[in-house]
Amino acid sequence: MSSDREKIFSAIRAALDPLPKRTAKPEWKRELIVCNPSGEFSSLKEQLADKLVFASSRYCDSFDQLAETLKAENSTFGYCDPELAPLFEKLDGITFETEYDVAKVNEYTFGITKASAAIAESGTIVLKDGDTSSRMGALTPWIHIAAIKESDIVATIPEAIDRFGDDPSIVFCTGPSKTADVEGILIEGVHGPGIQIGFILS
Amino acid sequence: MSLLHTPPNRPTGKSVQLMTTCLCDAFYSDVAKATVEILDFLGCEIELPDGQTCCGQPAFNAGDWANSRKVIRHAEKTFSGDKPIIVPSGSCAAMIFHGALLAFEKEEDLPAIKAFGERTWELVDYIVYGLGITQWPGKFDAKMTFHRSCHLRGSRSPEAVNALLTSIEGVDLQPIDEVEQCCGFGGTFSVSFPNISEKMGELKIENLTACKPDVVAAGDMGCMMHFGGMMDKQGMPYKRMHIAQVLRDSLKNAGKL
Amino acid sequence: MKSKQKIDLVARDLTNEVHEANFIGAKMKSERRYAALGRDYADPDKLRETAGLVKQHTLEHLDKYLEQAEASFERNGAKVHFAFDEDTAKKTVLNIMNEHGCKSMVKSKSMLTEELELLHYLEDQGKEVIETDLGEFILQIDNDHPSHIVTPIVHKNRRGIAKSFEREGLGDYNDDPETITRRARAHLRQKYLDADIGLTGANFVSAESGRIVLVTNEGNARFCMAANKVHIAIVGIEKIVPTDQDLGLFLNLIGRSGTGQQLTVYNQFIGGPKLKDQPNGPEHMHVIFVDNRRTEVLASDCREILRCIRCGACLNVCPIYRQSGGHAYRSVYPGPVGAVLSPLLAGNRFPELADLPKASSLCGACNEVCPVNIPIPDLLLRLRDKAKREGAKEAMKGTPNLAMWATMCSQPTMWKAALTMGHTMNHIPTQLIPHPSAMSWQGTRKLPKFEGGEFRKWFKNRK
Ligand code: SF4
Repeated sequence: MSSDREKIFSAIRAALDPLPKRTAKPEWKRELIVCNPSGEFSSLKEQLADKLVFASSRYCDSFDQLAETLKAENSTFGYCDPELAPLFEKLDGITFETEYDVAKVNEYTFGITKASAAIAESGTIVLKDGDTSSRMGALTPWIHIAAIKESDIVATIPEAIDRFGDDPSIVFCTGPSKTADVEGILIEGVHGPGIQIGFILS
Repeated sequence: MSLLHTPPNRPTGKSVQLMTTCLCDAFYSDVAKATVEILDFLGCEIELPDGQTCCGQPAFNAGDWANSRKVIRHAEKTFSGDKPIIVPSGSCAAMIFHGALLAFEKEEDLPAIKAFGERTWELVDYIVYGLGITQWPGKFDAKMTFHRSCHLRGSRSPEAVNALLTSIEGVDLQPIDEVEQCCGFGGTFSVSFPNISEKMGELKIENLTACKPDVVAAGDMGCMMHFGGMMDKQGMPYKRMHIAQVLRDSLKNAGKL
Repeated sequence: MKSKQKIDLVARDLTNEVHEANFIGAKMKSERRYAALGRDYADPDKLRETAGLVKQHTLEHLDKYLEQAEASFERNGAKVHFAFDEDTAKKTVLNIMNEHGCKSMVKSKSMLTEELELLHYLEDQGKEVIETDLGEFILQIDNDHPSHIVTPIVHKNRRGIAKSFEREGLGDYNDDPETITRRARAHLRQKYLDADIGLTGANFVSAESGRIVLVTNEGNARFCMAANKVHIAIVGIEKIVPTDQDLGLFLNLIGRSGTGQQLTVYNQFIGGPKLKDQPNGPEHMHVIFVDNRRTEVLASDCREILRCIRCGACLNVCPIYRQSGGHAYRSVYPGPVGAVLSPLLAGNRFPELADLPKASSLCGACNEVCPVNIPIPDLLLRLRDKAKREGAKEAMKGTPNLAMWATMCSQPTMWKAALTMGHTMNHIPTQLIPHPSAMSWQGTRKLPKFEGGEFRKWFKNRK
């Protein structure tokens, strides 16, 4: 194995050595990649709500409304992060388990897990391994509810990247799972959630 | 949405050399005449180097760089001096300020070729950004579409054309669909890929004529020879004009020429 | 029409149905791209330029960044492997599978694995491999190849897919795209759970933090990394960028450029095995850095092509790709990027693919849309020059010999003689007209009338 390593490094050096000069890393400011706001917003929360919907996710900040949504989708049994369970137990007519059982992969119709952050400019929900009680619970049910603390909403992508730390698995979710592979027709819910909900905890 | 390839700080004086282009020299003399007439109108003093032939692009695009360099070297010698060189073709202009640099990237005389490119302007680019003229005092009652030929990319010629055409009294410049799509000419490409070239031409013609314009204009006779030749074969009635002809005729219509 | 160039012939012979699918798919994505970038940025070119420079810088310091990436991954608890060529790359994957006692693999989309034909190799070695990207899954059951780097089955229609599903026992014939998708969801779900290893590519690698970045819409890469205990990331060495913050630049460009999405749905940043407390996911992460002739490209004068982030924008805008479709390019990478990259990655089989760089009118639309500002037309031209110098026959087919023309163009007396002879030329064979494209044209175009010398005479006599 080590010989392949050596081969690659020496081939790289042999390729680069003849270059008369090398390109410097451009200095670029974060503002460069921050996108135009799509409207006037009085708070990050408001902007996030707008952008979640733009990205085909849903925004929710009331337990009653969430219970209604779940019932409307015939989604009354699911999975919930044990630490969030006390909060979501009050959902009327909805039951869940707090330990993900792979045997029930097709029975859980919703999953509630914590979001580590949300990005207002893009309507993105950020999941980190350290805050996610079960990767499967956040991925396999038809509906994923990401519980976002209002104080965890950041304005831009660079700010979200600032908060990476040393977590080994961070996922930006911008909208539900989707494909346009068949004739370019958009279908939501391929392998992951068909409905992505950002639930704001104030 | 294109990053600029045009050299910075090109000379802007009114004493200029005219590069007719081989196509106008051989086929489209009125385009060359129109170019001279508008440069005259703008008060330019025009030199027409007698030894000029072609910019070398056909061989360059065909991958025959050795033969291309032969032609470019000849062109560089023919256009000696330090005057701005004006070309009524975005394609030939780009060949000189961009393509030639590639063809000569490993050659010793690259500096001379580079200096050649640094004097070269596409006609409308020169009028608007060289001479600072953004209003054209002509008159031309016509609905018009403009084929933004591909080699105007990387230059400010498209904005320049837009500024001049829309400033002409009576010109109704219509946007066209898929303006960024090529007409399918591409020099020897049209010879070696005839089927694709023709299909591209058909699409371009469709887009250029969708609004039933009175005039289809372009800044490159290469494109026009290709899609115009197709239009003629199909007996399509649209009048075709090089941008230089539009500018000249509009001056005539306004009684300024 | 008669033609000698293979890509032109494919375009001529494509069925209407496939042509429409390719054409409309490409056009639609191009339009979305313009809309998304225009809506979100005042000057998208500034981003493209910066992104191109960041990548170029990284490539020109690749030894440093690759070393840094290696160290970062190891610090994160991932095992790093290097594979100089195709064979070692495939064997490395096999060895890892054997080492962990793995029999069946779920994989997400990776163009590099297409290059390696990894799937067939592993199957020959008795392993089960399942493509999980919907498009790639359909290609797998049809034993077909992708025709686009982002939307791999753009050449197929729903009826063909429905028939394939029926044949594979995935339900009765039903060509509703939603039904097709739901059936794939159910089928592949079980495959994820049954598999024991997940393999992904990587769209980017951050040298600073030792993270790979995966960009998908379907969430299949997430599934590969939730249900399985071992994760292999197989990565071309050109995928590195210096820092995590640099990633923001590319993520903002890749979705908008490729499909017109502000961000692709899932951007995953994977730096090592799962956390201890996390119940799901890989306990082992292997990163395989593959060269497979990338250092040859780095040594060539077309190294800029290694900046490519595989967004597909150049395919979508390319008028030739729109007419020919992706299979015409006879290689893993179609379209403008493929016309440069495929012949280069072919090594000593360059002459076989030397016609690819010819399949361009050099219109430059690809460069204009490329999120990393690759000067694709310039690279195509350099490869045309290379093909000519090396006498690659595929490239020269149908291109007129220009030696005589060049002689005429560098001798003004000959040139002027030809011009004045012109008027008789209106009546004689066109081969002598001093412009190559004037030749063999008459089929569909009317040639212009010869007026050689008129302008010069007029100029002399004016005033
Ligand atoms: S060459 Fe540029 S436009 Fe084409 S796929 Fe690569 S990054 Fe995208």
